[in-house]
This record gives sequence, C-alpha cells and structure tokens, in this order.
Amino acid sequence: MLKADRPRGMIDRLRRKVVSWSIMPAPTGPTEDVLSKDRYKSLRVRIFFLICTLAGIPIVVITVISYGWLQSALKEDFDNQLKGSVESTRQSIEFFIEERISALRFLASDNSFGQLSDKKYLNEIFVNFKREFGELVDLGMINSEGVQLTYSGPYDLRGKNYTNQYWFNAAAARGVYVSDVFMGYRKIPHFAIAVKKELPEKGTFCILRATIDMATLNRYISTVNLKSKDDAFIINQDGILQTTSRFHGNILEKINIEIPPTKGTVSLNEIRQAGRAPFIFGLTTIKNSPWIIAVTVNSTAQTKLFDLLTSDMDAIYLALVLLVLGIIANMKIAATVVNWIRDAEQEREEAIVQTHHTGRLASIGRLAAGVAHEINNPLAIINEKAGLMKDLMLMSNEPPDKEKFLGLIKAISDSVNRCRTITHRLLGFARRMDVQHEEIDLNDTIGEVIEFLDKEVLYRNIKLETHLQEDLPRIISDKGQLQQVFLNIINNAIDAVPDGGVIAVSTEVKDRERVRVSIMDNGQGIPKDTIKNIFEPFYTTKGKGKGTGLGLSISYGIIQRLGGDISVESEVGEGSTFYVELPIRAVGQ
Amino acid sequence: MARAKVLLVDDEVEFASTLSERLNIRGYDTKAVYSADAVLNKVRSDIPDVVILDLKMPGANGLDILKAIKQFNPSIEVILLTGHGSEQCTAESESGGAFDYMMKPVEIDSLTEKIEMALGKKQK
Repeated sequence: MLKADRPRGMIDRLRRKVVSWSIMPAPTGPTEDVLSKDRYKSLRVRIFFLICTLAGIPIVVITVISYGWLQSALKEDFDNQLKGSVESTRQSIEFFIEERISALRFLASDNSFGQLSDKKYLNEIFVNFKREFGELVDLGMINSEGVQLTYSGPYDLRGKNYTNQYWFNAAAARGVYVSDVFMGYRKIPHFAIAVKKELPEKGTFCILRATIDMATLNRYISTVNLKSKDDAFIINQDGILQTTSRFHGNILEKINIEIPPTKGTVSLNEIRQAGRAPFIFGLTTIKNSPWIIAVTVNSTAQTKLFDLLTSDMDAIYLALVLLVLGIIANMKIAATVVNWIRDAEQEREEAIVQTHHTGRLASIGRLAAGVAHEINNPLAIINEKAGLMKDLMLMSNEPPDKEKFLGLIKAISDSVNRCRTITHRLLGFARRMDVQHEEIDLNDTIGEVIEFLDKEVLYRNIKLETHLQEDLPRIISDKGQLQQVFLNIINNAIDAVPDGGVIAVSTEVKDRERVRVSIMDNGQGIPKDTIKNIFEPFYTTKGKGKGTGLGLSISYGIIQRLGGDISVESEVGEGSTFYVELPIRAVGQ
Repeated sequence: MARAKVLLVDDEVEFASTLSERLNIRGYDTKAVYSADAVLNKVRSDIPDVVILDLKMPGANGLDILKAIKQFNPSIEVILLTGHGSEQCTAESESGGAFDYMMKPVEIDSLTEKIEMALGKKQK
C-alpha cells in the first residue's frame, strides 16, 4: 500500500494552500508560510553557508597542499643552509688541524733527531712556529722511551716521562694523534697534536708534540650562522663538550643529548625531549680528530613558515580584506538567488491559483452537464405533454377529453417534481460547502454523493455496490469537503472502469478513534512508477482536457486538514482501492 | 402517398410515447421503443425512414446503436436527441453518419422540420 507522505517541503505546503484555496470563496493572494520573510531569510542563510562551503573546500584543499609544498621546500632550504654553514665550519677546522699537523710533520722530517734534541734549536723553532701560528702553547720532543728530551714552553717539563699516557702510545701506533681537550696546568682548555718521526736506528723513533690553545677553535665555531636561541659547539665521541656551549653545559661536561651515529657529511636529526620544544640536532665529524661539530637549532620548518607568514603583515591584511570581500559577495549572491527563487515561487503560485480556478470550472462544468441532462429529460416530458394538450385543443372544437388531459397534467406535475428533487439536492449539496465541522452520518454523506452519479453509472452499466456498516458511529467532520473528496475519488473510479465495471464503496470502524471508507474499482489500475505521483498537484494520467490533475491533490489536502489519511493500493489490470481514514472526533477536539 | 415511417427510441417512456403521439398527429407513422435492446429488431422488422434516437440510455451507448442502424441500412436517417451534449458527442455523431443532433426539450416544429429535411435527403 502506498501511504501518502506527510506534508513535506515546499510542494506539500503549496498543496495545502491549494486545498485551502479550494474551500475559500476567492484566493486571497500569497500564503504566509510559503512566502514568509523568515523562510526566505533562512533560505538565504543556508545558501550563504552552502556557497561558503563550496568555495571554501577547494581553497582549504589548495591551502593544505600549498602549505605542504611550502613547508617541504622551506625544510629543504633550511636544511641546506644549516648544512652549508656547519660544513663550512667543519672544513675550516679540518684545515686548521691539517695545517698544524703538516707543519709538525715538516719539522719532524726536515730536522734531525740531534737538532730536535738541542734545546736552543727547539726554542728557535717554537718561536718561529708561534709567530706563524699564534695559538701554540708549547712544543716538546719525546724519545721512544716516552721521555721528553727537549721542551719549549711556559713550564719545566723536560725529562717528564709519558710512557703510560694514552696519547703517547696512540701517536706511536698511528703516526699522528690529536687529543681531546684538556685543562692542563694553567686551567686553560687546549689540545695536543703529536707527530711521530722514525729514526734511522731500527725500532727507535721520537715524537714532536705541540699543545694548542682552544680559543682558535671557539672562534671557528662562532662562525656557524645561528640565531640567538640556537647553539653550536664541539663534542667528542662520548658527548663531552670540547668547547663551551651556551645552553648545554660547560667545557668537559657531558651534554644531555643522546648522540646519534654520524659519519662524514652533516646529519640533521629532530630531537624531542620532555619539557621542551622539538629542535634540530646537527652533527658532523671532524677528520683527523676525535671531535664532532654539533649544532642545536630551535626553529623547524614549521616555525620558519609561521615566521615567514607572520613577518609579512601586508599579506595578512590583504588576505583579511579578500576574506571580507568574499563574504560580502557570498551574501549578495545568496540574496540574489533567494530573490530569483521568490520570483519563481510567486509565478508558480499564481499559475497554481489560475489552474485551480480552471479546475474548479471544469468540475462545475461536469456537474452542470450532469444536472442539465437530469433536468432536460423531465422538461422534455413537460414540453411534449403541454404540446400534446395544445395539439388536442387546436385539432378539435370539442371540449377536451377530461381523463386524457388529467393524465397529461399529472405527467407534467410528476416531471416538475423530478426537477424539484434535482434542484433541491443540488442546493443542499452547494449549501454544505459553507458548513464547517458538524456531526455527520458518513453513510448518508456517501449516499448523497452516489445519488449524483446514479445516472452516469446507469448509462455506462457500471455496478456501483455499497457495503456501509450499519452501526457506523457519527463523526465530527466537514460534510461538504468530504462530499468533494468522495465525488473526486468515485468520479475517478467511473473513469477508470470499463462499461459494465464494478465499483464498491464500503465503510467500517477501523479502531476506537477512526473510521475507514474504501472505494474499490476493477479498472485499469495504476502502474507502480506513477502511483507515487498521484497526490502531486497537476499530475494526471487522463487525456488532454479530461483532467486537471488537481482532484486527488485537493482530496489529499482536505483529508489531511480533517486529521485523516488517504492512501491507495493498486494492481495494473486488476483495479485500485482508495482508503480514506477519518477521525471520529474532529481534529483538536 | 404512404406516410413516412419514424421510429422513436428513448428510455423515458412518458416522453417517447407523447412525442410519438404528436408526430402521428402531424402525419408521421411513428412507433416508439423504450430500450436499446429492442431497437435493432424493430428496425429489421419494420424499416423506418427516420430514427429519432436518444444518445444516453441505460446499458447502451446511442452512438453504438447509430452505427448498428447505419451498418444495417445506410439509407435510414438518424436524428440524435439527448438531454445534454458535448462537442465530442457532436463530432462522434457526425462521424457515425447521423443526420443531425438536437437537444431536449425540442420544439415540435423544429423536429418536424428536421424530419422533413432528412426525408428530403433520403429521396435524393
């Protein structure tokens, strides 16, 4: 069974209005709920947000994608800059160390063991070396037994035995050695470079050892291009600071960052530690030394992007102005679209009123044709009887045959009575249109409707059955409107059945609160794909000029207004049944 | 000269019988039948010159009877008579071969005029 949908949306509201107009003497113009200002205001707001959403989605998508691309490009640029700066510093330090190792190697190879054992000669070399490389602290020559044979510098370290020191053994084994930073006697951070010289006597060698002030390396480190919150320093493989750090400890202290494995080129690692913002930890090893250059940079690509965006206030102002202009444009568009919709709805509404008026005229025409036929037949009898009386009077000068004349006069009176019955029924039907709610007998109401259709049913040999429940409770409803509904539905049934078809009208109590009227026909039935549309206004399956498409729509509206329901079930080729359910008590009572 | 035969077909007995009597007074040999079923038998048994046929009768369509009469004998002229008409009925009656179409109540002089015209056509 197809249940007529509850009123929804504009169509239904229009439909309800169509129905309300149908019972009004004259249309009173635009209806309040359909064309209300609040409704258009709500529509305008919804369209505005719809446009914003439709326009915003691509903008957001493009922004997210652009943000990703920009962030990626910025990260690459940022990484390259940082790597370049650290790499440059590494090369400078490596060159610094290589230069000193080369100088010591040259001294070792260019001078004999005897010359290097001469304190005076070594002093001259020390002075020249210091003049060339100002950061030199001292210079000494240690024999293969680990005893310092000669020494030039601020301390008296001649004869000191280094046999058990790590650096001595490392230098003896590798040929060259650069030490970690140590404080020494003067408590000044410095490091040592030791170079091995092989001596002619088999198995003997000596080592030239220079101690260099760390201040030079600090200067190199300070050349790394950093911001105030960033830091650059040198650590050894164990994470011990070789230069002073601004944020990670003093010299020879261990930094609080786990050292990731690193080799060769600059590696950048994002470090996340509890209690502080993520930061970049850059590392690169320094060749020919135990050292690693380390940088910590607090700004990441994201913060860079934020800095970049917020640094250009003009762009921000421009974006805000564009946003405001966009919102204003959207509001204008929404208002324009709503105006178009309002104009279209007004035009449609006027068309509905006009078509409904046409529909009413068509209904009146159909009713008038039926009434004319009903009245013309007795009028024709009166006409013929009176004519015959006149004929008889004219044919003879004799007094008329009294019995015959009385018979003719009786026939005239009977025909007048027939006409009176018809006109009284018509007046009664019309008078009901003005009555609102009253207590009515539904069976009588249906009977009166069927009386109107008797002749048409008779002429087409249609069998119109009634199965009216005798003890049907009287209901409170609008008789005139119900007659209009039943007239519509039964007329449709008459149109649907072939000559000799069957229409059955029945009434019954559905439950304690409702009664049900069923109008069944064995006509052509309604196809499934059109049954959902039959309550829509202007929908008709009748031929051009035969139906307005408003009958069922009006009936639907009337029954809804009376608090009932109208539904239909149909099978093509077998027929249709319309069900009208009505409350026993009126709506609101 | 033989009187023209007129057959009156209408389910309104009072109307048909009275009109029949009036036409008889006016010199026509008029018979009346009151149901659709009896029409064709009457036409076959006593071929009329003119049939005055009600368009709407219980269980029958006047246009179908018209077609049946014309099929039986095309020279029988049929004047349709009914309580109400429509453009569609007029068109269908013309296409079915009716001589003319008249509305009830009809003036007797107009009807006899039509009958005479029909008879004149038949004689041609």
